[in-house]
Amino acid sequence: MLSVLQKTIRPVQVARGVHQSAVQVLKQPGPEDTVTGSFGRFISEIQPQHLSPVVFQRSKRMVLDSIGVSLIGSTTDVFELALQHCQTHSMDFDDTWHPATHPSGAVLPAVLALSDMMPASCKPSGLDFLLAFNVGIEIQGRLMRFSNEARNIPKRFHPPTVVGPMGSAAASARILSLNPSQCSHALAIAASLAGAPMANAATQCKPLHIGNASRLGLEAALLASRGLEASHLVLDAVAGVAGFNAFYEDYVPQPLDSPHDGHAFLLEEQDMGFKRFPAHLGMHWVADAAASVHKLLVGVGPGKVFTDQVQDILLRVPLSKYINRPFPESEHEARHSFQFNACSALLDGEVTVQSFTPAAMSRPELHALLSRVRLEHPHDNPANFNLMYGEVQVTLVGGDILRGRCDTFYGHWRNPLTIESLRKKFRSNAEVVLPSEKVERLVEVVDKLDRLGDCKDLLSQLQ
Amino acid sequence: MNWRRFIFQTPLGITESFGAAIHALSASQLTDGVINRSKRMMLDTLGVGLLGTRTAVFNKALKYSQLLTSEHRSSIWGRSEISLPPYYAAFVNGIAVHSMDFDDTWHPATHPSGAVLPALLALVETLPSRPSGLDLLLAFNVGIEVQGRLMRFSREAYNIPERFHPPSVVGVMGSAAASAKLLGLSPSQCSHALAIAASSAGAPLANAATQTKPLHIGNAARRGLEAALLAQMGLEGNPAILDMDSGLGVYYNDYSPSAMPVCASGDFRWILEDQDVAFKRIPAHLAMHWLVDAALEARAELQETAWTFDLSQIQRVTLRVPPSKYINCPLPTTEHQARHSFQFNACSALLDNKVTVASFDQARINRPALKELLSKVEMETPADNQPSFDKMYCEVQIETAQGQSCTARCNTFYGHWRKPLSQEDLVEKFSANASSVLCTEGVEGVIDVVENIEKVTEGSVLGSYLRMTSNTHEQMYLTRIL
Repeated sequence: MLSVLQKTIRPVQVARGVHQSAVQVLKQPGPEDTVTGSFGRFISEIQPQHLSPVVFQRSKRMVLDSIGVSLIGSTTDVFELALQHCQTHSMDFDDTWHPATHPSGAVLPAVLALSDMMPASCKPSGLDFLLAFNVGIEIQGRLMRFSNEARNIPKRFHPPTVVGPMGSAAASARILSLNPSQCSHALAIAASLAGAPMANAATQCKPLHIGNASRLGLEAALLASRGLEASHLVLDAVAGVAGFNAFYEDYVPQPLDSPHDGHAFLLEEQDMGFKRFPAHLGMHWVADAAASVHKLLVGVGPGKVFTDQVQDILLRVPLSKYINRPFPESEHEARHSFQFNACSALLDGEVTVQSFTPAAMSRPELHALLSRVRLEHPHDNPANFNLMYGEVQVTLVGGDILRGRCDTFYGHWRNPLTIESLRKKFRSNAEVVLPSEKVERLVEVVDKLDRLGDCKDLLSQLQ
Repeated sequence: MNWRRFIFQTPLGITESFGAAIHALSASQLTDGVINRSKRMMLDTLGVGLLGTRTAVFNKALKYSQLLTSEHRSSIWGRSEISLPPYYAAFVNGIAVHSMDFDDTWHPATHPSGAVLPALLALVETLPSRPSGLDLLLAFNVGIEVQGRLMRFSREAYNIPERFHPPSVVGVMGSAAASAKLLGLSPSQCSHALAIAASSAGAPLANAATQTKPLHIGNAARRGLEAALLAQMGLEGNPAILDMDSGLGVYYNDYSPSAMPVCASGDFRWILEDQDVAFKRIPAHLAMHWLVDAALEARAELQETAWTFDLSQIQRVTLRVPPSKYINCPLPTTEHQARHSFQFNACSALLDNKVTVASFDQARINRPALKELLSKVEMETPADNQPSFDKMYCEVQIETAQGQSCTARCNTFYGHWRKPLSQEDLVEKFSANASSVLCTEGVEGVIDVVENIEKVTEGSVLGSYLRMTSNTHEQMYLTRIL
């Protein structure tokens, strides 16, 4: 298995690192010896035949979902403001991976834009497109595994801003067919554009994090294609001079093996989570838990929850400051509020795109429920998308206690959306802006992406 | 009701105070000292920028940027025929400024002017309000001041960096502040400009000493400008971005922010008043300046004492320098590495008896005589030599085969804030740089405009001088193979 191979390589890398700093060796490490170089080689040399059927299937689902959320995202205010490529993340509706980031939104717009830019006679095939997309996803996954910090809900840097530009640079470098050295430089140039603070999550600025990741990675690849050079050790850990490790407290980089003997893409072993409603991933657990309590409250009939029945609402959730907002004031804050999503689901039985409209957000019955919420952070509920759970406990005025718990929401990688559910989400998003013939054609085209001779079929449906 | 304040008692004060200050600072608060110093900074920056338009990195960035079109156009320094949208003009001109590591350096360490001036000049050419020279000067100083304030939020900032390249952290914030000022944004919009800019901050130090380093300044300039424009359009970020550890604090290990005084009228104490910048005489990392001065002195001493001295007699050269990995490069192969190499700069000084722009040409870097001398260099990092531009020194000891030994030490090089360049020498540096690209009218025009900037009615006139190339130069450059 690849992981064993990596373990045997690693001690040698560490020893070599010590040797270099102890004795000032005049010769610099060549690309064969560096983690950075190994990434450049991988990006340049990986071939379509290395994509397995599972990876094909999963990545096409990601492409479909991302296009859908982008299309609906183009109706938002922030999109109006920013105009270019940020629509994928404008509603926090895009996919989420483990370790946590939003991988597709950083990559797909760049690959689409570059494909669009290429002359009609030499546009990439659907397979080239899909391969470049997967390179962008894979690189992000690999980079996140360099650090334990990456496994938990982030506190410092917003992950899509750290690994997103790197993924976009990799995918862009791939679609431009850059050589291994240029691919390494694209990554290094992108590293100088990476990193945005968590404080801007839950603001109108957050969608720009993905837009920037996409365009800056693309830019890095274009600059590398023109010969711009940067550090050839950016991914390696060099004492006293931070490279990519500037963004992490703990950092142990691993080289990527040359793909000649086959390559196991991370997407094969770790599937993607797709959201059912446009909010931070953590909200999905409490929404599902609250929805089950809603069912208990309304019983079998057509129900309306009477808020004066409710005395107290207790949420048992992981500890994470930026998704703990008792009274969110903007849609962006609402998408990052355990309290808001739990109460919406309690009231309505579900959370949808409509839950975040100004009308829905300002409902008095919602505010009544919000004022009765309190949070607990059990020790067994870590801030980790692979391990967390959400529990909703409602105490009624009469003294009855109703409980709901969700360990794995529908859409999580452990309980993936069916293709029908995914298409349903896509249709409902895309139909907001495109006519239904185009919507259906898009579903078809993405499904057949790897067999498409020319990706202009995909591009033309998006315009 | 503002639930946030009520429930969380988050200190919004600091970021808000910055927004308020950026909005409210007025020209009447510019002191003579600050005006004088900032004009020197502007002149120096333009000179190094013009020179920088002849570099490979500048040309790559320019070719890339020409992919973009827009109806708004701003000048590219040293190019009469090309203009770009302001965002890209700021980008490439910013790259030009830092392309040879020839631009100003402050304490705590950053390169403040390169991040700000290109953005302002790009903006000034497209604003229908037609800002005056005084507006430009004020906005410039706002951008410098904000950078100075932000760096004082952390002890870490006082030493030579190890993690993030400082211009990439505070530079973009300064550019956002300066652009917001020039655009006349409200206090709240100014705060949001800072917040949006923070999401563009932070590039790792590993790209210093590479061709990408100049992009750190280019990016700071353009993305700060962009942040201000986005804020003007109503985009909002976190209004407590400077207050929070998860805000600007993510770039530092220790972070202790404080508010800017609100100053609608009355005196304002600018940091530039108390802490001057250093201007470089050599296009290399600031630390090289101490070393070169020490090397030249030791060489002179050796020449005096030994009647027949030649370099082949040198047996060992010992450099005593502060510890810093990214400027310790025993055998540089590129110009970027050479500019960040104690060893290279010491040996160049010993070989040529000077270190100039030409010292970093590839041919000079590859010289066998230089490589031979480099192999005789040893480095020491004495415990009392701190990696801080305010406290460091450099010592050079040359030992010959004949048993002679000469040692010289430099505590403060000429150009450092403790020993500033004379106005004459600063203007001479500018002229030498600018004449490589501009005709005499352009060179003298820039000197004149900057000297009298507070009286200039239209700030955009500077752009027109910056485009006055000497035709011979532009043609020669275009035919040269990169």
